[in-house]
Amino acid sequence: MATSENISPARPVGSLRGLLSSQRNFKRLQQVIIFIIMAVGAIAMIAPFEWMLATSFSRSANVSMPRIPRFWPADPSFFNYKVAITNLPLVRYYLNSLFVTTTATLGYLFFSSVTGYAFAKGRFVGKSILFIILLTTLMIPFEIRMIPLYLLMRQLHLSDTYAALILPFISGGFGTFLMRQYISAIPDELIDAARVDGASELTIYARVVLPLCGPALAALAVLSALWRWNDVLWPLLVLSNRNLYTITFGLATAGRSQGIFTGVALATSAIAILPLMILYLFLQRYIIKGIMLTGLKG
Amino acid sequence: MLKKLHKSLIWYVFVAPTFILYGLFVAYPTFETFRLSFFHEVATRQEFVGALHYVRLLSNEVFLAALLNTAFLGIIFLLLIIPLSLVMASLLNNLRVWPNLFKAIYFLPQITSTVAVALVFSYVLQPNWGLVNGLLRELGVNPLPLWLAEPRYVLTGSRAAVTILAVWVALGYYMLIFQAGLQAVPAELYDAAVVDGAGPLQTWWLITIPSLRPTFIFLFITGTIDAMSRFSDLWMLGGPAGTPARSLQTIVLYMYQTAFESNDFNLASASAVILFVIVLGLTAFNFRSFLQREFSSQSGA
Repeated sequence: MATSENISPARPVGSLRGLLSSQRNFKRLQQVIIFIIMAVGAIAMIAPFEWMLATSFSRSANVSMPRIPRFWPADPSFFNYKVAITNLPLVRYYLNSLFVTTTATLGYLFFSSVTGYAFAKGRFVGKSILFIILLTTLMIPFEIRMIPLYLLMRQLHLSDTYAALILPFISGGFGTFLMRQYISAIPDELIDAARVDGASELTIYARVVLPLCGPALAALAVLSALWRWNDVLWPLLVLSNRNLYTITFGLATAGRSQGIFTGVALATSAIAILPLMILYLFLQRYIIKGIMLTGLKG
Repeated sequence: MLKKLHKSLIWYVFVAPTFILYGLFVAYPTFETFRLSFFHEVATRQEFVGALHYVRLLSNEVFLAALLNTAFLGIIFLLLIIPLSLVMASLLNNLRVWPNLFKAIYFLPQITSTVAVALVFSYVLQPNWGLVNGLLRELGVNPLPLWLAEPRYVLTGSRAAVTILAVWVALGYYMLIFQAGLQAVPAELYDAAVVDGAGPLQTWWLITIPSLRPTFIFLFITGTIDAMSRFSDLWMLGGPAGTPARSLQTIVLYMYQTAFESNDFNLASASAVILFVIVLGLTAFNFRSFLQREFSSQSGA
């Protein structure tokens, strides 16, 4: 054995090195191929947005579009943006969206967590039956109840109010369910200790439970905000007063009625899309974590 | 007993607001949808008409076409998105360079509202100068596809266009859910496969995919519900009638058109009930068929 090693030491070592490096090369090649596939997909994801931006900065896009798509405007100008902002009260739409989204989301977080706490740690008659009632309706799509809900808003004289956009969404089965699951995992000892100290349930909720619910609350906030911000069906039913339009709904009605001026329409889209995308760049990690925690999307 | 009730009073206070809102905005309207579907409005008075609206709907070609269309668009979408997102998620899971950057980019359309994306796509797919046809022309494709102006069942028609849109929008979300599932596959399973001498593709096919069953169930159920209640993007692109030639009309678009353009809330409610029954049936079917396999494989093992 020892002699054979001495006779030709280079060969086995060399082939081992060759094997290792070919395996490393294979891994590297694999990485390159995966990277190329992912990059092609990523370009397909970004290209429509980039093309939208390029066209929105082109004044001539309203008259004639280049036959070969351009990713950089031939005649860069802010003209389309100026027209978009004078055509539509976009700032007002944004403020409406901000108000509706914030209010509905805060309500959703509050009611979901309070009721979720009761279902997780409370002891009361009918607890499991009430919880099951809540769960059974979880799967029913909103579209199934939207017509009577619209008629109800009319009866309550809430059509064309902020309340109509907010009230139906400040509590929900899913939020309550998620908070109940999350709070159930909090050790009883923490809550019992506070109880022994004479804290009321409301104090325990606010001082002990809520501070421990950060990830769940963040996830729910992301979902609720995306739902409210991007909703178009419900505003379509209950809004006719232009002053109450959200940015998403304002874009929808404008896009459907004045689509012939490509540059202006795409500038309006860019105004509606870009601020949210910039926000997403900063909050991306939390948003993706939230969606992964709940499994639901916007 | 009284003391016990007093003690639990605070919990009822915690639960009450949610249930009051729930009763008013969820339970009552759902019940009303069913009730309205059995009535007919005669001079502002509601008159009981039994199953009349259901008979009307099931002999109504427009409604049946919308029903068929919803199912068709939903099935094509799921058949495309599930394999595609599974492969992409598996690839991304093995990528060591910038995986989070790619994840964030693929998720971008999910952050954008459906109507904004649909609006942008109506220009992207414009037949003469849109982004897609412009690139196809550069590649020498002739004749160029009509996309949203072509109502027939062809690979480059309106249905294909909205399917491309839906897949483009949903890809990042489906990939994210698959990635969460992939990370939950126990590492021992992979180690065992390596010991047994399985190659990467074999491991993927025999270990990864079967382990993802809960993810498949979840995506099938939520995907079916989303597909059955599809509205916003199609409304944006084709209006309530699903133009061109109703090729984009779904049940919810039909429901909207019947209620708010024809002012027939009763007929619209009946179509909502049919949608409800279908969603319930499909969810139960998905659950049952998947769970049955689960049980039979367990008893077999």
